[in-house]
Amino acid sequence: MTGSWLDTSVRGLLHQALDVYRDNPRATGHIHDHLARLDQPLRVAVVGRWRSGKSTLLNALLGEEVAPVDGNAFTWYEDGPQPDATAYSAHHPPQRLAVLRSGTGMRVDLAGWRTGELSDIVVRWPARSLRQVTLLDTPPVGVDEHARDPVLERVLREADAMLYLTRDARGADLRVLQRTREGAVGQAAAVHIILVLSRVDESGGGRVDALLGARQRARRALRDPHLDALCVTAVACSGLLGLAGRVLGEADFAGLAALAQVPRAELEPYLLSAERFARSEPPVPLDAATRSALLDRLGVVGVRLATTLARTGHRSRTALSAELVRHAGLSELRESINRLLVDRRTVLKARSALVGMETLLRGEPAPGAEELLATVEQILAGAHEFQESRLLAALRSSRLGFDAESTQEARRLVGGDGDSPAARLGIAPDAQLAQLWEAAADARWRWQERAVDPALPLAQRRGAQVVARSCEGMLAELAAHAR
Amino acid sequence: MVAGIWLDVLDDIARTCQEHNRNDLLQAVRLKRAHLLDPTLTVLIVGEANQGKSQLVNAIVTAPVCPVGDNRTTVLPTVVRHAEAISATVVQTPVPAPGTLATVATTVERHPVPTEQVAAGVAGGVGRRPGGGPAYVEIGVPRRLLGAGVVLVDTPGSDDLPSANTGTPVTSLARADAVLLVTDSTRDLSATELTMLLHLTRAHANVIVVQTKTDLVPDWRAVADRNRRHLVDAGVPATLIPVSAALRLHAAATDDHALNAESGFPALIARIRHDLAGKSDLLAPASVAMIARTVIEQLAAPLRAELESQQSTEESAPLARLHAAQREVDELRRCSTRWQNTLTDEMADLLSDIEYDLRDRTRHILKMVDEAFETADPLVAWDTVQTWLTRSLVEAAEANRQWLTLRCEHVARRVAEAFTRYGHGVLPPWPLVTPPAHRAPPPEIERPTVERFTVGQKVFTGMKGSYGGLLMFGLALTLAGMPMINPISISAGALFGGKSIRDEGRQLLRRRQATVKAAVQRHVDDFFVRVSKESRDTARQVQRVLRDHFAALTDELQAGIVESLRTAKKAADTDAAARERRQHEIMRRMSRLAAVYEQAQQVAGTRPAPLAARP
Repeated sequence: MTGSWLDTSVRGLLHQALDVYRDNPRATGHIHDHLARLDQPLRVAVVGRWRSGKSTLLNALLGEEVAPVDGNAFTWYEDGPQPDATAYSAHHPPQRLAVLRSGTGMRVDLAGWRTGELSDIVVRWPARSLRQVTLLDTPPVGVDEHARDPVLERVLREADAMLYLTRDARGADLRVLQRTREGAVGQAAAVHIILVLSRVDESGGGRVDALLGARQRARRALRDPHLDALCVTAVACSGLLGLAGRVLGEADFAGLAALAQVPRAELEPYLLSAERFARSEPPVPLDAATRSALLDRLGVVGVRLATTLARTGHRSRTALSAELVRHAGLSELRESINRLLVDRRTVLKARSALVGMETLLRGEPAPGAEELLATVEQILAGAHEFQESRLLAALRSSRLGFDAESTQEARRLVGGDGDSPAARLGIAPDAQLAQLWEAAADARWRWQERAVDPALPLAQRRGAQVVARSCEGMLAELAAHAR
Repeated sequence: MVAGIWLDVLDDIARTCQEHNRNDLLQAVRLKRAHLLDPTLTVLIVGEANQGKSQLVNAIVTAPVCPVGDNRTTVLPTVVRHAEAISATVVQTPVPAPGTLATVATTVERHPVPTEQVAAGVAGGVGRRPGGGPAYVEIGVPRRLLGAGVVLVDTPGSDDLPSANTGTPVTSLARADAVLLVTDSTRDLSATELTMLLHLTRAHANVIVVQTKTDLVPDWRAVADRNRRHLVDAGVPATLIPVSAALRLHAAATDDHALNAESGFPALIARIRHDLAGKSDLLAPASVAMIARTVIEQLAAPLRAELESQQSTEESAPLARLHAAQREVDELRRCSTRWQNTLTDEMADLLSDIEYDLRDRTRHILKMVDEAFETADPLVAWDTVQTWLTRSLVEAAEANRQWLTLRCEHVARRVAEAFTRYGHGVLPPWPLVTPPAHRAPPPEIERPTVERFTVGQKVFTGMKGSYGGLLMFGLALTLAGMPMINPISISAGALFGGKSIRDEGRQLLRRRQATVKAAVQRHVDDFFVRVSKESRDTARQVQRVLRDHFAALTDELQAGIVESLRTAKKAADTDAAARERRQHEIMRRMSRLAAVYEQAQQVAGTRPAPLAARP
């Protein structure tokens, strides 16, 4: 029922819209784009204000250093057989760009282009992480707080989901994010935004435990109802450390291992500041070039963290790498992206199609557009999938306070482990209809009871309501099958 | 001592405020005066969230007095001052009752906080009564720098400006001697920060940008250079001091002088000490100049606005009234021409119409009479015709007159229309047309003398005719041998005689008819002349009545309007004089303000910036 129902109704809506706008070539082109987008990989935009760490995080997600190309262009990262890049601009035909490979990534040669001239750069890059997701690096948003933001508007139009990077999750950052809640679809549940507390390695006065503190901050941020309404979940992540972990080379590791040999008290003065580390000669043989490379790669906080990790048992490159990635919060972020965005691809795709349709129908009135707008609202009202997505996110961050068993069952029932009724009910796929029915009815009763149990906290009751509603949906679907 | 001079200037400013009846500004100036005489140096620390403000305070006093952390740790402003032993207090000023001045709040609630709970206190959790007005945390630390008179005020991070008069009084700009804007080295100064700086430097003379966390970034020197360039580009006259709180704290812990030097703090502390020592000599004049500028701009603004409004809107009320009265006079003149024209035109139309109507009616009557006498014999029909004629003529005259009356009233209304804007009740007294007092009855038409066809005439005519016939036929028959007088000739004679009589009778009838017609024609003509003369007289009379009435009305109106014009003129003249006086007054005040300003600038030792307050 999930996904499929929403998907079917959205496709139906798009075909109806094609009929309504059959005399309007621009609108039909638009609708065809949306139809095509439904089958393309999920587009995830990395959005943030100026210097919020967008490109670094994007590199960390790709696991390679695909250097930031142009601060004013939208850069699309797609899967491709071999690296290549194409530049699109308003006044020139698309043009291939030279790609220079480096040890840990590549660099796109932008010679001959003025800043601001390019509107889009499409980079094709063979990476596993790009199979299902197209990543989108954007120019900074929220430059002028009072005007409409063209970048944000384009992101809302063209991306299916976004990672919103913020350093402190309040003030001006949130005001930018508020703008995403425009239109009927925007007012519906926010399932497409993951809030990322970025550059967390620099917070907390540069202490090694800054990352743990940041994780707590992310969890606390979600308790703020304003923030909770704006995003599906919040994750703390240091793009710099994550990237360092993913591309950590042998030379770097050797340097870190050497540093870890030095007793802590003896090493500390050298790690007090970045400048000290770069300038003064530490008690181990480590040349200035390596030190500066380490500093570039990890930052002084990262060097401190990495040496501490290396000292406490992570003695191989891979172990240190993995630990850095975990510490940086990158693995949690990737997991969140996979579970909440990629797995819910159909829902997000349908959502962006609805957004596009709403804009089109409101912007270009045509006979019949009113009825279609009503259909959009009808689909929104019937789309339980958004609630499920949000519940899944809440279950992931265990902020509802369900015990482990209930959490797991709830996740399964709302489609976190698979979309078919059997997967949802946790029954063998070849089970009889009657068996499925019985299990679904049983689950429905149990969760319904929970939803009205006055002893439970409100958040749990709300969650239970969503689960019960999912069960009802399954029952309805099974009944339809039986007929 | 220089202190004397700037004090004089400040007193001068206070006096000016008093002259302008601006108690609010006076209050501010007095506060500033007290504040400048106070030897302590208050350093206000502002900046966006998470830039390391509290850590900066900790590093300055080298003690963890302000809690630092990732989230919003500083909720209440924290005042760090000297004390013999470490102490912490939550201070809450009660909400001032409306109507009283906030600055005279005498009762201040002080709640001592155990030192281990300072973090909770600063986060706003402890010792504060909800709804009890603005609160701050006061922390006492035994430090030499603080003992010399430095007070540090740490503020909650904010994207917004610390405003001069809202919020807690301890964080107000007016009470600060130095403002440190804290920004971290991980990025350049943001647009928000630069805007904030612009506002700060406009309101405060001593702003320092502190770039923290230099330990985190290898290329902090490049960032500092870029920031300095940003400051110059934005026109912000503030120095930038890069520091590292972490290094300083570490240096304090290990007593490492080199590290302390590396942290950049000595420069900052030297600057603070320099400010402290030069508070009275350097800071005070500058801040007097600043307050002179703000106060005088505030004082000048209403004056300038008044001046501008006077110059731009020449249409003051009396003048507007004068113009209105003049317009009114013109309008009346136009109106009087208009009504005179209307009256003449309408009357001419009326006369011609009435005359035509009468002629039409009489012609119709004449035609009827002619038709009647085409066949009828006046001898027989005269009486009937005469009665009818008299009645018809009287009816025609009545109808014509009635129409005249109606038309006259119409004309009166048309003319009165020109006066509609002066109100109702301008119609002349009714009735306009008085029926002539002694109206002579229309003269009877005398019976015209008509020839009758007497019997004798008939016999004579018959004889004449029969004679011819008898002779004609008698002679002819004599040829046939018949006698001259025979039955045939006699009958022919009779026949001819009869015809003659008939012919003669017809001729006479026609003559009679013609006579009567002519008589009637004459009579009707007489009637027409008489009645049309009457109508003409009536119309003239009406015209005269109307003219007199409306002329009187115009005179009356004119008298009223001219009177109002005269009063308006007088009022306008007086007003212009008063305005001139006021302008002179404003100019005088402005020049006085300019003088005070210039004096303040000279005290500050700066060359006077162009003063916007000058008219």
